[in-house]
Amino acid sequence: MKLVCLGLNHETAPVEVREKFALLDGALDRETECLVSSEDVLEGVVLSTCNRTEYYAVVNGGSGVAELEDWICERREYRGLREGFFYHYEARDAAEHLCRVASGMNSMVLGETEIFGQVKKAYKRSLEGGATKSVLNKLFQRAFGVGKKVRTHTAIQEGATSVAGAAVELAEKVFGRLQGSSVMVIGAGEMSRKTARALQSRGASSVMVTNRSFDKASDLAEEIGGRAVPFSGWEEELAHLDVVIAATGAPHFVVKPQHVEAVRRKRKFRPLIMVDIAVPRDIDPEVGEIEEVYLYDIDTLQEMADEARKRREEQLRLCEEIIREEIDKASLPAVND
Amino acid sequence: MVMGISWVVIATVLAAAGGAVGVVALRSDKVGRAALICMALSFGAQLMALGWRGELRGQCPLGDLGEICLFMAWSLTFFYLVTGTTYRVSLLGVFTAPLVFLLQVISLIPGAFEKNVVSAESIDAWREAHTSLSVLSYGALALAAVAGVMFFVLNYQLKARKFGGGLVHGMPSISRLVQAMARIAVVGWLILTAGIIAGLLMPKGDFGIHLMVATITWVLYAVLLGVYFVRGLPGRQLATGLTVLFVLSLVVFAKL
Repeated sequence: MKLVCLGLNHETAPVEVREKFALLDGALDRETECLVSSEDVLEGVVLSTCNRTEYYAVVNGGSGVAELEDWICERREYRGLREGFFYHYEARDAAEHLCRVASGMNSMVLGETEIFGQVKKAYKRSLEGGATKSVLNKLFQRAFGVGKKVRTHTAIQEGATSVAGAAVELAEKVFGRLQGSSVMVIGAGEMSRKTARALQSRGASSVMVTNRSFDKASDLAEEIGGRAVPFSGWEEELAHLDVVIAATGAPHFVVKPQHVEAVRRKRKFRPLIMVDIAVPRDIDPEVGEIEEVYLYDIDTLQEMADEARKRREEQLRLCEEIIREEIDKASLPAVND
Repeated sequence: MVMGISWVVIATVLAAAGGAVGVVALRSDKVGRAALICMALSFGAQLMALGWRGELRGQCPLGDLGEICLFMAWSLTFFYLVTGTTYRVSLLGVFTAPLVFLLQVISLIPGAFEKNVVSAESIDAWREAHTSLSVLSYGALALAAVAGVMFFVLNYQLKARKFGGGLVHGMPSISRLVQAMARIAVVGWLILTAGIIAGLLMPKGDFGIHLMVATITWVLYAVLLGVYFVRGLPGRQLATGLTVLFVLSLVVFAKL
């Protein structure tokens, strides 16, 4: 009896290969069923996310990863190059790999938390389909425990690693909780959408979108559940805002000191955070000289995100230690035998 | 005397520990509870010390430099503990503890506590109320000034984009600090109001320069807070006002 893991992810295979192996929810159950229906496979869990497809299986002594790889490629009707696209682990290495995946250490965004839920969901499906028994049950339960421990005992998930996340972090530093705060997005591009979404996810309740093309502003406003404001009227709204995100393609400054000066009294000098993610910049740097205005440009946000990524990478050694210790402590059949 | 002064020493050591533990917690990016516990214990020791002086004097212990500093340190610690849960002020302790420590060190200077204290034969309740409420209000106003200093630090770091270190991570938000400054100052101002009313009710002839300075201080705080609540003020101006007013009034009282 042998524990094996075979898979491919964003680090080993390009998207055009990954998409051939990706499985939708409905197909996952069938795939797991087929996997364990094979004579040599005793247990199995199939994990498929946008960045990875992995097969965890307990196989009879004679079978191995080569057979499993052939089987998978055949099912996906994949006849292209395989060299270097697949990785495989056996016994303890497979267990440690699963722990890394569940802890977000193997994710595209290091330390992201979504993967934990995805692994849990994949395991639950297999469990409910009767595809797991003692080996994988114990292994996955242990991996979930390790994943939680890694997240609580290290800083693997601390700090924002994206520009949008960094903007949210700064807004929280100024306002504390963002519940009930008002946001205006100037520009209706992808970055505006991402940042507005990130702020909404932390509680920002009122989002206004303005753009030179009102149609585009309306589209984005509709998509994110906000309100479109004509470009000619954005200055009037400034009096009620907490956060301004500027991301237009304008070749000159859109927001100037006089715009903010005009509404300071009306705002009762409340703090205002302005995030300029446009290049060339949309907000005149002199706006940041106004006492209650906290202005950040794309370089600052990028720097914050880079530093957070670096800090997370520094945590990897500690995470690996936890995983080793936890696997050592566990009594896992086909792993520690 | 030895037993009594030892409470002041214990309170001073605990305040120093509170500050040190707070700094360590900040460096490790965590705002721990240890600083809060140290300050709570220091508060207990201050109470014992004030009890000792009060028993000696037979009235509110505000008769010499040592007692005034000790009472002030107690008042500062009291408001720190009271506002603690609301404003995540275990971090505020990092800023408060050094001030408490300093005040208690001053009270420990030889001669700060009068040795041969004569117990009061009679007590004027209004005078007692006036002095104790005034010093208590200064504890709150001192804490508002401390919150102001915290605001300066955080504001500078956010404006200058210096996000490294535990300070930015451990601090309350800018909005919270502004709110804390205003609210604590209002509490201090209200207590000062009560102190001044008690002063006006003292027997005639007791109106002194102290009461006049206290009244001027009261008016200045009223103007500052009035402008903030009615017209609005940028956080930095409120912080500047609260810090300058507190330092100024402290200097004036020290000169009297």
